[in-house]
Amino acid sequence: MSNLNLSGKEILRFLNTHYEFVHSAFAAGKPHFMIDADKFMRLLHDYNAKNESKISLYRLTSEVKFCRQLSTGEYKLNRNYIPFLEYLFNDFVLNLPETLKNRYQAVFNHFTALKTETTGFRVVLLAQEIINVIEDFLSDIEGQTQRLLRDTEALKVNVGNHSAFSTRIQRANFWIDEYIIPLNGILDKERADSIVNVIIQLQQYSNERRLLSDNYELKLEFEKLYACAVNAKSELDKTLSKLTRELLPLLERIKSDSIILNGFYHFVENIDDPKAYVAALPHIVRRTKSSVTSKAFAAEAEFYIDQFSYLTPEILFNESDEDIEWLPDAAFFKEQLLKDDGVKDFYKWCLTSLEEQTENITLSKFFTLSNMLLDEDLVIEYKDEKRYEIKLADATLLMPKIKVYAKLSK
Amino acid sequence: MQSYPSEHREIVSALVDGRFVIYPNPTFVSLKLQEEEYREFFTQSYGYELVIDSEIAYLTSTEGTEKRTRDFVLFLALLCRELDYSGKNFRDAIEVGVFDMAETEQMLRQSSKCEVLEKTSVANFEDFISTWHRKNVLFRAEGQFKFTKAVKIFFDFAVNVANAKLKEAEAV
Repeated sequence: MSNLNLSGKEILRFLNTHYEFVHSAFAAGKPHFMIDADKFMRLLHDYNAKNESKISLYRLTSEVKFCRQLSTGEYKLNRNYIPFLEYLFNDFVLNLPETLKNRYQAVFNHFTALKTETTGFRVVLLAQEIINVIEDFLSDIEGQTQRLLRDTEALKVNVGNHSAFSTRIQRANFWIDEYIIPLNGILDKERADSIVNVIIQLQQYSNERRLLSDNYELKLEFEKLYACAVNAKSELDKTLSKLTRELLPLLERIKSDSIILNGFYHFVENIDDPKAYVAALPHIVRRTKSSVTSKAFAAEAEFYIDQFSYLTPEILFNESDEDIEWLPDAAFFKEQLLKDDGVKDFYKWCLTSLEEQTENITLSKFFTLSNMLLDEDLVIEYKDEKRYEIKLADATLLMPKIKVYAKLSK
Repeated sequence: MQSYPSEHREIVSALVDGRFVIYPNPTFVSLKLQEEEYREFFTQSYGYELVIDSEIAYLTSTEGTEKRTRDFVLFLALLCRELDYSGKNFRDAIEVGVFDMAETEQMLRQSSKCEVLEKTSVANFEDFISTWHRKNVLFRAEGQFKFTKAVKIFFDFAVNVANAKLKEAEAV
């Protein structure tokens, strides 16, 4: 028999048993956590059809109070479940930065009141309230940042089709303008109205009070507030670093990358129609071979030079003038000598005979003739040792007087 | 021009050849130091416009569209598209990554847009990569290649297209 009052265990058992249903209802209801009646009934029907353990509408609305039906027909998820479910599914709905700003306002108001409050009891209440608001704020901002990071990652790989690029650019722009820049503002300690600034002040104030208070209970309370402020400061620093050093550059990157891909997409789609891709292609100069002279000049010059190209090279041999020297016919002169029947002065005879036939009697001409002495059929007689000069064109000889005649046997 | 730097010949031949001159190459530094003089020099001597920023320099001419540039942008666009599809950060990959020639060619062949490439100079992939290697837009070595800083002008082009399209859409 079930308890009449709703117990925590019962709720947890419900969540555990029907985890899939709770998840699908949560996903279908986002971001306002309201679901059309038809859609809600279909979800319930589908779930019951697939699972042995069924859920009744009565159990949902009356026993565990997971949701209730509005007068307009829709089913609205119980607000008490939502933060826990967001945490369970690690799926936070983005609050507008204004919502976060309200929390700042609450912290600021409580803090102002705390500084002027003199009643110990009220001081404790205010300090506890500040701690609660700061914890809520931290949990919100942590959830939001995670959500933004995950969505950004999803956006980065969301490449279903190229027409989605403009959606990506819009989404990136929207997040940057609507979330990141305002969040940055809330967290920027340079700005007087930023929550970080209030927390820094709170940290200083609670630090002083925890040391200076003479009331033990107040000391303890300010100790907690101080710890809360210190923790909040470091958490917010981390969040700020995620936002400005990771998320913002990532979104900017997605934006600029999507712009490039978008441009390329239009270029490829209109490749045959350059006018349609609007921007002009860079006109890089073509490679040119002759850079200094014009093409026309180069062609003419080539043509002119070609005129000469048919000539075969002439090779000239430089022949030296070689005078072929006339030499006397030794046989002719020997015949003369034999006809004369010997001579008394052979060398003089040689000279005279040569002078009759030629001019310019050289040593070689003379010897050609005189060499007939060596012939075997001539006899040489040599008695006088006296010599006389014979002047030739290129030499002067000193010769003896010799007698030459033919052999007797002949 | 009063005086030429010692790299003058290198600067002129590289740029007139259609190559990109990129920092930290010493020729870039010389060119940058005499930016205005060279701007004048190229306009007067060749009728080309010198485009130079903090890292790259190249010449542009107003003579008709260069088909090879169009082909290169097409190649880059499809490569970025495929990288993005495969969940990679395409800009990191293009700006600092090293690409295997065979794998890249394969990746492009698998693209649904592959038939567009067939009619362009990209079809002969080896030659295509060599051409752009000569222009200093990419660096090729041992079956791999990587893009140089010059690739950013093509990203700028894509941004211009996207912005122009956005304006068109807004006007409608």
